Amino acid sequence: MSNALAMALPRVEDQDLIDRIIGDQAGRPGALLGILEKLQDANRHKYLPMESLEYVALRTGVPQSQVYGVATFYALFNLDPQGTHTVAICRGTACHTRGSRALLERVKLQLGLEESGTADKLTLTTPDRKFTVRTVACFGQCALAPVVEIDHAIRGHVKEQALIREVDLLRKEAAR
Amino acid sequence: MVEKVKVRIDGEVIAATAGQTILEVARANSKYIPALCYMEGLSATGACRLCVVEVSGVARLVPACTTPVAEGQSVVTSTPQIESYRKIALELLFAERNHVCAVCVSSGHCELQALAQEHGVTHVRYPYSCPRLPVDTTHPRYVLDHNRCILCGRCVRTCAEIEGAHVWDVAGRGIGSHLVSELQRPWGEATTCTSCGKCVQACPTGAMAEKGWAVEEMTKHKTVVSRLTSMREGS
Repeated sequence: MSNALAMALPRVEDQDLIDRIIGDQAGRPGALLGILEKLQDANRHKYLPMESLEYVALRTGVPQSQVYGVATFYALFNLDPQGTHTVAICRGTACHTRGSRALLERVKLQLGLEESGTADKLTLTTPDRKFTVRTVACFGQCALAPVVEIDHAIRGHVKEQALIREVDLLRKEAAR
Repeated sequence: MVEKVKVRIDGEVIAATAGQTILEVARANSKYIPALCYMEGLSATGACRLCVVEVSGVARLVPACTTPVAEGQSVVTSTPQIESYRKIALELLFAERNHVCAVCVSSGHCELQALAQEHGVTHVRYPYSCPRLPVDTTHPRYVLDHNRCILCGRCVRTCAEIEGAHVWDVAGRGIGSHLVSELQRPWGEATTCTSCGKCVQACPTGAMAEKGWAVEEMTKHKTVVSRLTSMREGS
Protein backbone atom coordinates (compact mmCIF):
# COMPACT_ATOMS: atom_id res chain seq x y z
CA MET A 1 0.00 0.00 0.00
CA SER A 2 1.74 3.13 -1.19
CA ASN A 3 -0.44 5.34 1.00
CA ALA A 4 0.83 3.71 4.16
CA LEU A 5 4.38 4.72 3.35
CA ALA A 6 3.52 8.37 2.99
CA MET A 7 1.66 8.70 6.27
CA ALA A 8 3.07 9.56 9.65
CA LEU A 9 2.82 6.48 11.83
CA PRO A 10 2.58 6.53 15.62
CA ARG A 11 5.53 5.16 17.58
CA VAL A 12 5.98 1.39 17.49
CA GLU A 13 4.86 0.82 21.10
CA ASP A 14 1.75 2.90 20.39
CA GLN A 15 1.11 0.82 17.30
CA ASP A 16 1.25 -2.33 19.40
CA LEU A 17 -1.18 -0.82 21.88
CA ILE A 18 -3.60 0.22 19.15
CA ASP A 19 -3.39 -3.22 17.56
CA ARG A 20 -4.19 -4.81 20.91
CA ILE A 21 -7.14 -2.50 21.55
CA ILE A 22 -8.49 -3.14 18.06
CA GLY A 23 -8.00 -6.89 18.56
CA ASP A 24 -10.17 -6.83 21.69
CA GLN A 25 -13.01 -5.07 19.91
CA ALA A 26 -12.65 -6.61 16.46
CA GLY A 27 -15.73 -7.25 14.40
CA ARG A 28 -18.22 -5.78 16.84
CA PRO A 29 -20.56 -3.28 15.18
CA GLY A 30 -19.83 0.17 16.54
CA ALA A 31 -16.41 -0.99 17.71
CA LEU A 32 -14.86 2.32 16.69
CA LEU A 33 -16.28 4.19 19.69
CA GLY A 34 -14.85 1.67 22.16
CA ILE A 35 -11.50 1.66 20.39
CA LEU A 36 -11.21 5.45 20.49
CA GLU A 37 -12.29 5.58 24.12
CA LYS A 38 -9.71 3.01 25.23
CA LEU A 39 -7.08 4.70 23.12
CA GLN A 40 -7.71 8.08 24.70
CA ASP A 41 -7.67 6.55 28.19
CA ALA A 42 -4.31 4.96 27.49
CA ASN A 43 -2.82 8.23 26.29
CA ARG A 44 -0.74 10.13 28.82
CA HIS A 45 -2.29 13.45 27.92
CA LYS A 46 -5.80 11.98 27.44
CA TYR A 47 -6.16 12.87 23.79
CA LEU A 48 -6.23 11.29 20.36
CA PRO A 49 -3.23 12.26 18.24
CA MET A 50 -3.80 12.50 14.48
CA GLU A 51 -1.28 9.72 13.80
CA SER A 52 -3.24 7.38 16.06
CA LEU A 53 -6.51 8.21 14.29
CA GLU A 54 -4.84 7.52 10.97
CA TYR A 55 -3.47 4.23 12.23
CA VAL A 56 -6.88 3.19 13.62
CA ALA A 57 -8.44 3.93 10.22
CA LEU A 58 -5.76 1.88 8.48
CA ARG A 59 -6.12 -1.10 10.83
CA THR A 60 -9.92 -1.20 11.13
CA GLY A 61 -10.66 -0.32 7.51
CA VAL A 62 -12.97 2.46 8.64
CA PRO A 63 -12.58 5.49 6.33
CA GLN A 64 -10.42 8.24 7.83
CA SER A 65 -13.17 10.81 7.39
CA GLN A 66 -15.55 8.63 9.41
CA VAL A 67 -13.02 8.17 12.22
CA TYR A 68 -12.54 11.92 12.30
CA GLY A 69 -16.30 12.49 12.24
CA VAL A 70 -16.81 10.25 15.26
CA ALA A 71 -13.86 11.77 17.14
CA THR A 72 -15.17 15.31 16.61
CA PHE A 73 -18.87 14.55 17.19
CA TYR A 74 -18.54 13.29 20.75
CA ALA A 75 -17.52 15.83 23.40
CA LEU A 76 -15.78 12.96 25.20
CA PHE A 77 -12.91 12.88 22.71
CA ASN A 78 -10.07 15.39 22.77
CA LEU A 79 -7.89 16.10 19.76
CA ASP A 80 -5.48 18.26 21.79
CA PRO A 81 -3.33 17.27 24.78
CA GLN A 82 -5.16 17.76 28.08
CA GLY A 83 -3.83 19.14 31.34
CA THR A 84 -3.05 17.01 34.41
CA HIS A 85 -6.02 18.50 36.27
CA THR A 86 -9.42 19.09 34.73
CA VAL A 87 -11.87 21.71 35.87
CA ALA A 88 -15.23 21.24 34.18
CA ILE A 89 -17.72 24.02 34.69
CA CYS A 90 -21.38 23.44 33.96
CA ARG A 91 -22.95 25.97 31.62
CA GLY A 92 -26.46 24.54 31.73
CA THR A 93 -29.44 26.80 32.36
CA ALA A 94 -29.72 26.15 36.10
CA CYS A 95 -26.01 26.66 36.70
CA HIS A 96 -26.01 29.72 34.45
CA THR A 97 -28.70 31.40 36.54
CA ARG A 98 -26.69 30.59 39.67
CA GLY A 99 -23.63 32.35 38.29
CA SER A 100 -21.54 29.72 36.49
CA ARG A 101 -20.32 32.30 33.97
CA ALA A 102 -18.62 34.21 36.80
CA LEU A 103 -16.98 30.97 37.97
CA LEU A 104 -15.71 30.27 34.48
CA GLU A 105 -14.36 33.79 34.03
CA ARG A 106 -12.73 33.70 37.47
CA VAL A 107 -10.94 30.41 36.81
CA LYS A 108 -9.81 31.57 33.39
CA LEU A 109 -8.40 34.72 34.96
CA GLN A 110 -6.70 32.73 37.71
CA LEU A 111 -4.98 30.41 35.24
CA GLY A 112 -4.28 33.12 32.68
CA LEU A 113 -6.34 31.54 29.92
CA GLU A 114 -7.59 33.41 26.88
CA GLU A 115 -10.96 32.88 25.26
CA SER A 116 -11.12 30.57 22.30
CA GLY A 117 -13.41 27.95 20.86
CA THR A 118 -17.09 28.07 20.07
CA ALA A 119 -19.76 29.41 22.37
CA ASP A 120 -21.27 26.05 23.21
CA LYS A 121 -18.06 24.19 23.93
CA LEU A 122 -14.92 25.63 25.40
CA THR A 123 -11.76 23.68 26.15
CA LEU A 124 -8.70 25.57 27.30
CA THR A 125 -5.41 24.13 28.45
CA THR A 126 -2.63 26.06 30.14
CA PRO A 127 0.67 26.12 28.20
CA ASP A 128 2.37 24.08 30.96
CA ARG A 129 -0.35 21.41 30.56
CA LYS A 130 -1.16 21.48 34.27
CA PHE A 131 -4.80 22.54 33.93
CA THR A 132 -7.60 22.10 31.44
CA VAL A 133 -10.72 24.20 31.87
CA ARG A 134 -13.74 23.04 29.95
CA THR A 135 -17.44 23.78 29.81
CA VAL A 136 -20.09 21.08 30.05
CA ALA A 137 -23.68 21.37 28.80
CA CYS A 138 -25.21 19.79 31.92
CA PHE A 139 -24.16 17.32 34.63
CA GLY A 140 -27.76 16.44 35.44
CA GLN A 141 -27.28 17.74 38.98
CA CYS A 142 -29.21 20.98 38.58
CA ALA A 143 -30.36 20.97 42.22
CA LEU A 144 -26.71 21.46 43.19
CA ALA A 145 -26.20 24.43 40.84
CA PRO A 146 -23.70 25.80 40.17
CA VAL A 147 -21.84 22.53 39.59
CA VAL A 148 -18.12 22.20 38.96
CA GLU A 149 -16.29 18.95 38.38
CA ILE A 150 -12.67 18.93 39.53
CA ASP A 151 -10.67 15.87 38.49
CA HIS A 152 -13.84 13.79 38.11
CA ALA A 153 -15.24 14.73 41.53
CA ILE A 154 -18.51 16.67 41.41
CA ARG A 155 -18.84 19.75 43.65
CA GLY A 156 -22.21 21.38 44.17
CA HIS A 157 -23.20 24.89 45.29
CA VAL A 158 -19.74 26.12 44.32
CA LYS A 159 -18.78 29.60 45.46
CA GLU A 160 -16.15 31.69 43.69
CA GLN A 161 -13.80 31.78 46.68
CA ALA A 162 -14.07 28.03 47.29
CA LEU A 163 -13.27 27.30 43.64
CA ILE A 164 -10.25 29.62 43.71
CA ARG A 165 -8.98 27.85 46.84
CA GLU A 166 -9.41 24.40 45.27
CA VAL A 167 -7.59 25.38 42.10
CA ASP A 168 -4.82 27.05 44.09
CA LEU A 169 -4.40 23.91 46.17
CA LEU A 170 -4.05 21.78 43.03
CA ARG A 171 -1.61 24.29 41.59
CA LYS A 172 0.59 24.13 44.67
CA GLU A 173 0.44 20.34 44.62
CA ALA A 174 1.44 20.34 40.98
CA ALA A 175 4.34 22.69 41.72
CA ARG A 176 5.70 20.42 44.44
CA MET B 1 -43.03 -12.85 -4.15
CA VAL B 2 -43.08 -9.10 -3.90
CA GLU B 3 -45.73 -7.74 -1.65
CA LYS B 4 -47.93 -5.09 -3.21
CA VAL B 5 -49.49 -2.32 -1.20
CA LYS B 6 -52.03 0.30 -2.10
CA VAL B 7 -51.49 3.85 -0.92
CA ARG B 8 -53.30 7.05 -1.53
CA ILE B 9 -51.18 10.04 -2.50
CA ASP B 10 -53.04 13.35 -2.78
CA GLY B 11 -56.27 11.41 -3.15
CA GLU B 12 -55.10 9.13 -5.95
CA VAL B 13 -54.85 5.40 -5.25
CA ILE B 14 -51.44 4.09 -6.27
CA ALA B 15 -50.11 0.54 -6.30
CA ALA B 16 -46.66 0.31 -4.81
CA THR B 17 -44.19 -2.33 -3.66
CA ALA B 18 -43.68 -2.86 0.05
CA GLY B 19 -40.34 -1.40 1.15
CA GLN B 20 -40.48 1.55 -1.21
CA THR B 21 -40.45 4.96 0.43
CA ILE B 22 -43.21 7.50 0.02
CA LEU B 23 -40.88 9.71 -2.00
CA GLU B 24 -39.94 6.92 -4.43
CA VAL B 25 -43.58 6.01 -5.00
CA ALA B 26 -44.59 9.64 -5.43
CA ARG B 27 -41.81 10.39 -7.92
CA ALA B 28 -42.55 7.20 -9.88
CA ASN B 29 -46.12 8.37 -10.26
CA SER B 30 -45.28 11.97 -11.17
CA LYS B 31 -46.40 13.35 -7.83
CA TYR B 32 -44.06 16.14 -6.89
CA ILE B 33 -42.34 16.27 -3.49
CA PRO B 34 -39.34 18.63 -3.21
CA ALA B 35 -36.09 17.29 -1.74
CA LEU B 36 -32.48 18.41 -1.47
CA CYS B 37 -30.59 15.67 0.33
CA TYR B 38 -32.32 12.85 -1.55
CA MET B 39 -30.67 11.56 -4.69
CA GLU B 40 -31.71 8.54 -6.70
CA GLY B 41 -29.27 5.68 -6.20
CA LEU B 42 -28.07 6.83 -2.80
CA SER B 43 -29.30 5.84 0.64
CA ALA B 44 -31.74 8.32 2.19
CA THR B 45 -30.81 10.29 5.29
CA GLY B 46 -33.70 12.69 5.83
CA ALA B 47 -31.36 15.60 6.46
CA CYS B 48 -32.94 18.50 4.56
CA ARG B 49 -36.53 18.14 5.80
CA LEU B 50 -37.96 19.51 2.56
CA CYS B 51 -39.78 16.31 1.68
CA VAL B 52 -42.00 16.41 4.76
CA VAL B 53 -45.52 15.12 4.08
CA GLU B 54 -48.68 14.48 6.02
CA VAL B 55 -49.53 10.82 6.67
CA SER B 56 -52.95 9.81 7.95
CA GLY B 57 -52.87 8.75 11.58
CA VAL B 58 -49.50 10.38 12.27
CA ALA B 59 -49.73 13.62 14.23
CA ARG B 60 -46.41 15.09 13.08
CA LEU B 61 -45.04 15.61 9.58
CA VAL B 62 -42.77 12.82 8.36
CA PRO B 63 -39.94 12.91 5.80
CA ALA B 64 -41.10 11.14 2.65
CA CYS B 65 -37.59 9.97 1.74
CA THR B 66 -37.17 7.73 4.80
CA THR B 67 -40.77 6.67 5.48
CA PRO B 68 -41.75 3.35 3.87
CA VAL B 69 -45.21 3.03 2.33
CA ALA B 70 -47.79 0.99 4.21
CA GLU B 71 -51.06 -0.57 3.11
CA GLY B 72 -53.97 1.84 3.29
CA GLN B 73 -51.75 4.83 4.00
CA SER B 74 -53.03 8.19 2.89
CA VAL B 75 -50.39 10.80 2.08
CA VAL B 76 -50.86 14.50 1.45
CA THR B 77 -47.89 16.19 -0.22
CA SER B 78 -48.90 19.81 0.11
CA THR B 79 -50.88 21.81 2.65
CA PRO B 80 -50.40 25.38 3.88
CA GLN B 81 -48.70 23.93 6.98
CA ILE B 82 -46.31 21.77 4.96
CA GLU B 83 -45.49 24.65 2.63
CA SER B 84 -44.73 26.93 5.58
CA TYR B 85 -42.45 24.27 7.11
CA ARG B 86 -40.61 23.85 3.83
CA LYS B 87 -40.17 27.58 3.53
CA ILE B 88 -38.77 27.76 7.07
CA ALA B 89 -36.37 24.91 6.31
CA LEU B 90 -35.13 26.74 3.20
CA GLU B 91 -34.76 30.05 5.00
CA LEU B 92 -32.76 28.39 7.78
CA LEU B 93 -30.46 26.83 5.16
CA PHE B 94 -29.86 30.29 3.73
CA ALA B 95 -29.33 31.85 7.16
CA GLU B 96 -26.84 29.21 8.26
CA ARG B 97 -24.05 29.96 5.76
CA ASN B 98 -23.08 32.60 3.23
CA HIS B 99 -25.22 31.81 0.21
CA VAL B 100 -24.55 34.74 -2.06
CA CYS B 101 -26.14 33.77 -5.37
CA ALA B 102 -24.91 36.86 -7.20
CA VAL B 103 -21.30 35.68 -7.07
CA CYS B 104 -21.84 31.91 -7.12
CA VAL B 105 -20.69 29.62 -9.93
CA SER B 106 -23.89 27.64 -9.64
CA SER B 107 -26.33 30.55 -9.77
CA GLY B 108 -29.10 29.63 -12.16
CA HIS B 109 -28.26 25.91 -11.93
CA CYS B 110 -28.56 25.55 -8.17
CA GLU B 111 -31.11 23.26 -6.54
CA LEU B 112 -31.28 25.37 -3.38
CA GLN B 113 -31.88 28.53 -5.39
CA ALA B 114 -34.49 26.81 -7.58
CA LEU B 115 -36.39 25.51 -4.56
CA ALA B 116 -36.27 28.91 -2.90
CA GLN B 117 -37.76 30.52 -6.00
CA GLU B 118 -40.39 27.83 -6.23
CA HIS B 119 -41.42 28.32 -2.60
CA GLY B 120 -41.47 32.08 -2.84
CA VAL B 121 -38.55 32.71 -0.51
CA THR B 122 -38.04 36.38 -1.39
CA HIS B 123 -36.24 37.17 1.83
CA VAL B 124 -35.01 35.41 4.97
CA ARG B 125 -36.83 36.14 8.23
CA TYR B 126 -33.96 34.94 10.42
CA PRO B 127 -30.70 36.71 11.16
CA TYR B 128 -27.83 35.43 9.00
CA SER B 129 -25.13 33.76 11.05
CA CYS B 130 -22.43 34.88 8.56
CA PRO B 131 -19.81 32.33 9.67
CA ARG B 132 -16.19 32.72 8.62
CA LEU B 133 -15.57 29.67 6.50
CA PRO B 134 -12.65 28.59 4.34
CA VAL B 135 -12.58 27.75 0.63
CA ASP B 136 -10.53 24.68 -0.21
CA THR B 137 -8.80 25.22 -3.55
CA THR B 138 -6.05 22.66 -3.04
CA HIS B 139 -7.45 20.13 -5.51
CA PRO B 140 -6.06 20.67 -9.02
CA ARG B 141 -9.44 20.42 -10.74
CA TYR B 142 -12.16 21.02 -8.16
CA VAL B 143 -12.93 23.54 -5.48
CA LEU B 144 -14.86 23.20 -2.21
CA ASP B 145 -16.52 26.33 -0.86
CA HIS B 146 -17.81 25.70 2.67
CA ASN B 147 -19.83 28.92 2.46
CA ARG B 148 -22.23 27.31 -0.01
CA CYS B 149 -22.46 23.91 1.69
CA ILE B 150 -25.85 22.89 3.09
CA LEU B 151 -24.56 19.65 4.66
CA CYS B 152 -27.00 17.52 2.67
CA GLY B 153 -24.37 14.79 2.60
CA ARG B 154 -24.90 13.90 -1.06
CA CYS B 155 -21.16 14.10 -1.78
CA VAL B 156 -20.47 11.96 1.31
CA ARG B 157 -22.85 9.24 0.18
CA THR B 158 -21.88 9.45 -3.48
CA CYS B 159 -18.23 8.99 -2.60
CA ALA B 160 -18.89 6.20 -0.09
CA GLU B 161 -21.64 4.29 -1.88
CA ILE B 162 -20.88 4.74 -5.58
CA GLU B 163 -17.18 5.46 -5.85
CA GLY B 164 -16.37 3.46 -2.69
CA ALA B 165 -13.64 5.84 -1.60
CA HIS B 166 -15.40 7.55 1.34
CA VAL B 167 -13.16 10.59 1.21
CA TRP B 168 -15.84 12.85 2.70
CA ASP B 169 -17.71 12.87 5.95
CA VAL B 170 -19.38 15.36 8.24
CA ALA B 171 -17.36 16.26 11.32
CA GLY B 172 -18.30 18.17 14.45
CA ARG B 173 -21.83 18.66 15.65
CA GLY B 174 -24.59 21.23 15.71
CA ILE B 175 -23.78 24.60 14.22
CA GLY B 176 -20.10 23.59 14.04
CA SER B 177 -20.76 20.66 11.66
CA HIS B 178 -18.69 20.78 8.54
CA LEU B 179 -17.55 18.66 5.67
CA VAL B 180 -14.12 17.03 6.01
CA SER B 181 -11.96 15.07 3.63
CA GLU B 182 -10.10 12.34 5.49
CA LEU B 183 -8.62 13.69 8.74
CA GLN B 184 -9.37 17.35 7.99
CA ARG B 185 -6.76 17.18 5.26
CA PRO B 186 -6.90 19.60 2.34
CA TRP B 187 -8.76 18.01 -0.58
CA GLY B 188 -5.71 18.16 -2.81
CA GLU B 189 -3.73 16.08 -0.31
CA ALA B 190 -6.39 13.46 0.26
CA THR B 191 -4.76 10.14 -0.57
CA THR B 192 -8.02 8.22 -1.04
CA CYS B 193 -9.57 10.69 -3.50
CA THR B 194 -9.71 9.27 -7.02
CA SER B 195 -10.52 12.69 -8.52
CA CYS B 196 -13.52 11.10 -10.26
CA GLY B 197 -15.62 14.22 -9.78
CA LYS B 198 -18.78 12.40 -8.71
CA CYS B 199 -19.15 14.47 -5.56
CA VAL B 200 -18.99 17.65 -7.63
CA GLN B 201 -21.80 16.50 -9.88
CA ALA B 202 -23.87 15.33 -6.90
CA CYS B 203 -23.58 18.63 -5.03
CA PRO B 204 -26.86 20.53 -5.24
CA THR B 205 -25.30 23.95 -4.69
CA GLY B 206 -22.10 25.74 -5.62
CA ALA B 207 -20.23 24.25 -2.66
CA MET B 208 -18.39 21.89 -4.97
CA ALA B 209 -17.50 23.01 -8.45
CA GLU B 210 -15.01 22.46 -11.21
CA LYS B 211 -12.33 25.05 -11.43
CA GLY B 212 -12.33 27.38 -14.40
CA TRP B 213 -15.95 28.45 -14.36
CA ALA B 214 -17.19 31.95 -13.65
CA VAL B 215 -20.44 33.06 -12.05
CA GLU B 216 -23.49 31.12 -13.34
CA GLU B 217 -21.33 28.88 -15.54
CA MET B 218 -21.16 25.66 -13.52
CA THR B 219 -23.80 23.23 -14.70
CA LYS B 220 -24.06 19.83 -13.08
CA HIS B 221 -25.31 16.49 -14.34
CA LYS B 222 -26.64 14.20 -11.65
CA THR B 223 -27.52 11.46 -14.12
CA VAL B 224 -23.92 10.75 -15.07
CA VAL B 225 -22.78 10.27 -11.46
CA SER B 226 -22.97 6.47 -11.56
CA ARG B 227 -20.82 6.27 -14.70
CA LEU B 228 -18.40 9.08 -14.17
CA THR B 229 -14.95 7.47 -14.17
CA SER B 230 -13.19 9.18 -17.01
CA MET B 231 -11.81 11.88 -14.74
CA ARG B 232 -10.09 9.47 -12.38
CA GLU B 233 -6.37 9.79 -12.11
CA GLY B 234 -4.54 7.36 -14.31
CA SER B 235 -7.53 6.33 -16.41
